[in-house]
Amino acid sequence: MRTMWCAVAIALGVALSMPLQAHHGGAAYDQTKSVTFEGTVTEMQFANPHVLVYWDVQSGDAAGQKWSGWLTAPNKLARAGWSRKTLNPGDTMTVSGTPHKDGTHVLQIRKLVGPDGADLPLTEN
Amino acid sequence: MRTLAVLLLASTTLAAQQPTPAPAPARDLGGVWMMRNPPGSNRGWTSFTFTDPKLEPPALTAWGEARFKAARDSNGGTYRLDETNDPVLTRCYPPGVPRVYFHPYPFEVVHTPTVTFLMYEYDHMLRRVYIDGRALGPDLDPLWMGHSVGRWDGNDFVVESTGFNDRTWLDRLGHAHSDRLKVTERFRRIDRDHLHLDITMEDPVALAKPWKTTFFYELRPGWELGEISCSGDYLEWSKVEARK
Repeated sequence: MRTMWCAVAIALGVALSMPLQAHHGGAAYDQTKSVTFEGTVTEMQFANPHVLVYWDVQSGDAAGQKWSGWLTAPNKLARAGWSRKTLNPGDTMTVSGTPHKDGTHVLQIRKLVGPDGADLPLTEN
Repeated sequence: MRTLAVLLLASTTLAAQQPTPAPAPARDLGGVWMMRNPPGSNRGWTSFTFTDPKLEPPALTAWGEARFKAARDSNGGTYRLDETNDPVLTRCYPPGVPRVYFHPYPFEVVHTPTVTFLMYEYDHMLRRVYIDGRALGPDLDPLWMGHSVGRWDGNDFVVESTGFNDRTWLDRLGHAHSDRLKVTERFRRIDRDHLHLDITMEDPVALAKPWKTTFFYELRPGWELGEISCSGDYLEWSKVEARK
């Protein structure tokens, strides 16, 4: 799957479809862009205030790059059904999100398709 | 007329299909509550301030305006973590009241005969709301979360709080308050599963007139409060954003 830098309109659509979350340092991320990767998980830190996922990009222009991304708090993900073993090293996933403005390989994750091909919930109900 | 009749019938049918909310128990807020805006209400600003910042900004005094201009918020999306002067994000100060309601986590109410406990998942914040009839004194030692007393007004639980220090923000945008802040919270349990919280902030130093809002909560019977430690978790987070 190719790495896709999507058009502003598409990214805005993603942003508007998400609940406005009170994240930390959201100003550091380019809310007008969205990027998608197919990657192999190397680590997940199920820690506050945001769960961190690390992966190696498997395909596309960014193949071979190391990236990480952040989700909401583990308490919220646990209430959505996650545990600290939901993602494990070696798992494949497709992850989309808002990239850091300065090009750092860090993503504010907006969508995550897990190893079994299903969307993983990113907040509790 | 036929159209009207059809519409009325459809409306009646739709109403009949809506489940009837279970009634609220009398004088009981016990349980875990989570902020949930009514569907379609377009109130995204409730994650960082009390009223629509464009349509209903608070009336500030000159002092309040000057302090607000000096604020560099991050949760509102304006400044990065290495730029903000938010007292919670930079120092892990307790959030104060009513800012504590902006942390996107649940709170739990526990009633006892003399004290009602308001327990917030964020940073183990605990407020003791005394319901033993005591009054708020005129010269209270300033606290981060203030001193609180509560009473039942019918089935509404009314909490009055004073005795705050002036080191916290009212909201996540950086509206300031002084040590003369008074906060009144009216908890209205609309039915078993829904709670409306009216908040009134009065501060003659910072606010030109009272700042009022209503926040909406839903009961979450299956939830348990977890642990979120500001000093152990939040202060580490800026390193994630800053790393190359």
